[in-house]
Amino acid sequence: MTAPWIDGDTSAAGLAIAVGCGAAFGAALERAGLGSARKLVGQFYGTDLTVLKVMLSAIVVAMLGAFWLGQLGVLDLARVAVPETWLAPQLVGGVVFGAGMAIAGLCPGTSCVAAASGRGDGLAVMLGMFSGVLVTGLAFAPLRALYEATARGPLTLSAWLGVPYGAVVLAVVAIALAGFGIAERIERPA
Amino acid sequence: MTCERRPYADPYVTGACLGLVLLAAFVITGRGLGASGAFATTAAGLTHAIAPAQAEANPYFARYLAGDGPWRDWLLFEIGGVALGGAVSAWAAGRLRGQIERGPGARSPARLVLGFAGGAVMGLGAVLARGCTSGLALTGGALLSVGAWLFMLAAFAGAYLAAPVLRRVWR
Amino acid sequence: MTPRPWRRWLAGAAALAGALAPFAGSPYRRAGAEHATASATATATTTIDVAELVRVVADQEDHVSAVELAGWIRARLPGLRVIDVRSASEFAAYHIPGAEHVPLERLTATRFGADETVVLYSELGVHGAQAWVFLRALGHRRVVFLRNGLHEWLDDVMSPTLPPDAPVEAEAAFARVAELSRWFGGSPRRLTGGPAAAPAAPRRRGC
Repeated sequence: MTAPWIDGDTSAAGLAIAVGCGAAFGAALERAGLGSARKLVGQFYGTDLTVLKVMLSAIVVAMLGAFWLGQLGVLDLARVAVPETWLAPQLVGGVVFGAGMAIAGLCPGTSCVAAASGRGDGLAVMLGMFSGVLVTGLAFAPLRALYEATARGPLTLSAWLGVPYGAVVLAVVAIALAGFGIAERIERPA
Repeated sequence: MTCERRPYADPYVTGACLGLVLLAAFVITGRGLGASGAFATTAAGLTHAIAPAQAEANPYFARYLAGDGPWRDWLLFEIGGVALGGAVSAWAAGRLRGQIERGPGARSPARLVLGFAGGAVMGLGAVLARGCTSGLALTGGALLSVGAWLFMLAAFAGAYLAAPVLRRVWR
Repeated sequence: MTPRPWRRWLAGAAALAGALAPFAGSPYRRAGAEHATASATATATTTIDVAELVRVVADQEDHVSAVELAGWIRARLPGLRVIDVRSASEFAAYHIPGAEHVPLERLTATRFGADETVVLYSELGVHGAQAWVFLRALGHRRVVFLRNGLHEWLDDVMSPTLPPDAPVEAEAAFARVAELSRWFGGSPRRLTGGPAAAPAAPRRRGC
């Protein structure tokens, strides 16, 4: 039977797999040192580009894996949920999120890893994150217009640009490898 | 500048492993990873516990209260796993210890306040964007979602814009 | 162990996998559909039970509404296959989520399982209806089409509207359609509607 094998959102098996995936995710982040805020902000001061390397490596591997498993017929790529596009709120939310990340030194996922490794600042970021989401949710009314604007559904770069999926895959790989080369060059003098 | 050598793993190898975890999630369950959704569902659940009618009338929280309820949420269980995996990995590497990690320019109390404030700002951003770096950027990036790549570029832009202002804190 | 050999190996593998990608075609394909091209010329002629087809059309069992299809997609109906019979560029520009691209020329050669529910659609419905006849003629039983094609999907699912003077029953129906619409990232609208809060959207796969 072609993958995805289980529609595991809330079944017991699905939730168990959620914990498993999360554990592997958390371990990988911790291994890379992204539970350390100082290491993470090094990205934005050009001294330690681990964030970029980890993120792009993960994206490239998962993207290539999904593409080729789809080609082989092992994975039914059409049944994998593509995060949806809302142009305006994701642009605005992205900039806001990035600023918050620079202030906090951690992102939501890494803050959990940091807290789990005993770091008090990780816990502070988690509490802040929770508070921010709560307050934003309670005061949602004025944001609603922006939140629901410019919906584009599960739009891929391939569909949007009218370019074959494989060509976009190649472009992403090329950009990532170029980015890695530049990152190594930036880090070396430090 | 600190010269301590920490035995962190190679970022490319770790990133590739992370990519395999993400791929496994695609193959087994047809969805990707995430983080901010867990915070949203917790906020919805707590609000519902305190003020059920208001929570259900709130258009943002209502979606998390639908279906099987806010606590039976894939991302919530996944985040639990993240904490578990992070703790075990830290313990195995001898990195598990109580500390407040901060830059040389901020004392511990200030660091905690900044952490909280930064977290709150990220909360706002994650609500608007419907995701964060883990869920939207990683998952959506791998699946070539336009919004994910837009979010990633915007987030990096926002961070790079804010970084000079915070230089005194971190450097 | 130095990280250097690992890095070069990873970079090389990624570069190779990436370089081959543009030559591999669309990754949205079913397991087994590849083998169908070998028998492309096999089924050139067949007999059609016209009376049977007429009955199915008269009983309105030949088509499905876009809203109903949306419900099937969201509920992940087992064995559902949504087939887009338009051109490749039209498919790439926009297609119903989860749809596969099988143009008319390849359709008769594509194998469908007996337990699969095939939903055909085209831009406005004409080619979808014709494709329906072809598949029924080839003996497929569980096949339907979208009567007004992709336009019906865009109108009824992605941008459903509720007129301002709608009766109460229409309100409830619209509420259901609106939540379905939002699930697909659509924009339901009330035409010069009242101040009531829109119905709560259902659980989505968030990040």
